[in-house]
Amino acid sequence: MSTLETISRLPRATLEFANIILTTPDARIAQTPRDVVWTHRKTTLYRYRSSAREYPIPVLLVFALINRPDIFDLRPGSSFVEFLLGEGFDVFLVDWGVPDEEDADMGLAEFVCDELDWAVRETLRAAGEEELTLLGWCIGGTLCAMYCALHPAGAVRNAVLLTTPIDPRGSLYERWVGGEEFDVDYIADSYPVVPGSGIDFANKLMKPVANSFTTYRRLFQNVLAGKDPRVSYQAMAKWVADNPPFPARAYREWITWMYKENLLIAGHLRLRGERVDLADIEQNLLVVTAGADHIAPREGTLPLLDMVASGDVTHLDRAGGHIGLMAGSRAKHEIWPELAGWMSERSDH
Amino acid sequence: MPEDATAKPGPAEQVSKLYEDLEAQAARASEELVSGSGFTGMLTSAAENVAALTKLSGDTMDLILRNLRLAGRRDVVSLSRQLARTEDKLERVLQEVEELRDELGRARADGSAPAARAARTAKSTQAARNPPARRRNARQRKDST
Repeated sequence: MSTLETISRLPRATLEFANIILTTPDARIAQTPRDVVWTHRKTTLYRYRSSAREYPIPVLLVFALINRPDIFDLRPGSSFVEFLLGEGFDVFLVDWGVPDEEDADMGLAEFVCDELDWAVRETLRAAGEEELTLLGWCIGGTLCAMYCALHPAGAVRNAVLLTTPIDPRGSLYERWVGGEEFDVDYIADSYPVVPGSGIDFANKLMKPVANSFTTYRRLFQNVLAGKDPRVSYQAMAKWVADNPPFPARAYREWITWMYKENLLIAGHLRLRGERVDLADIEQNLLVVTAGADHIAPREGTLPLLDMVASGDVTHLDRAGGHIGLMAGSRAKHEIWPELAGWMSERSDH
Repeated sequence: MPEDATAKPGPAEQVSKLYEDLEAQAARASEELVSGSGFTGMLTSAAENVAALTKLSGDTMDLILRNLRLAGRRDVVSLSRQLARTEDKLERVLQEVEELRDELGRARADGSAPAARAARTAKSTQAARNPPARRRNARQRKDST
């Protein structure tokens, strides 16, 4: 593009850029039709409608406590849920909802031993099956790992853990919140639910320039070059900006047990008096790590592979970031088919 | 005509390249900065100050509303907690009921329905014999766990 042409396009591109930014909250995400199967407090279990269920073993998707699970179903044509339905899976999703002050007493035990356990139960009842595949992402993966460790002979046949923090030693998070300087008790006592915006701010602070400038610069360049990044940008930006608060008790336990005391990997974590020993995981296990993941670096997930008792363990290490690995433009053709392939081989009666 | 690889880029490309280089350098420098111990201390203090301010302002607002004899956030949360606890209990009861129904269904399917009915009748007879005070105590014990 010549300099003159660039200059002539600038006013229109600037207006278009501003319009994309300003109308982002109106973008529609998570549109795949679904039905509510079960609710308890803020948690909702959804089942996605499908007329082409091929595999009997249902898949239960579990996302983190920060950000919404809509990332599994970002937008038509770029939705992991839509992809799984197309492959013939019976897909369920557990949505933790948006906690409020009355949920301050929700700790990790409540999420793992109640909400997740009951969601598994309701999934099996709805699907009429005795086993399922549990697919967790980020903190959702850690919760799934804890659940599998507590129920080695339970209903989970296959466990898929995506970019899951297990041993956060050496990570930037650990540096920020793992030391004595960070008084997690003060934060958890001050906030009944820790604001999602604060956690999002900290996440963005890990790569300040990339998150504050590069994203917008790239968007502007694409608009200036005559591309149409509106749909893809808005869907992702809307999801990124939607940050539910973290219940104080769960926040306190997550920071203390994972980052300050590192109990999970040491096998000292207890939920309701029961020891969570990762060595008890016997399910078929698929662990996915991302090479450029700065939130849950792969070094923090890999120790799990040597600990579990599973006879069937697969590890996929792919290029990409914490979210980009599963929600980036290449995911549809790269990681999704790999996940579906692994699950399909283990989803027959 | 094939494009000359050594052709000098235009001013727009030069500015763009310069900006991208600058951005990459700034990104590296900022990532180094945020991983330092000095930054961690600053971030920790800032987070605690924000938390303290939020708590102070929330408490003040609640005090004002309370003195105006209006229901404040705290009252709403207290009611919501009670509702949540009730929902917890209801969920557990519902699960028990579902399990019993499944059990009964299985028993019926096995053709042992008369046995299941007999067991149920025996249970209800025993429950009826329990003095009300004892039943109340038992329920309270279950709630407190």
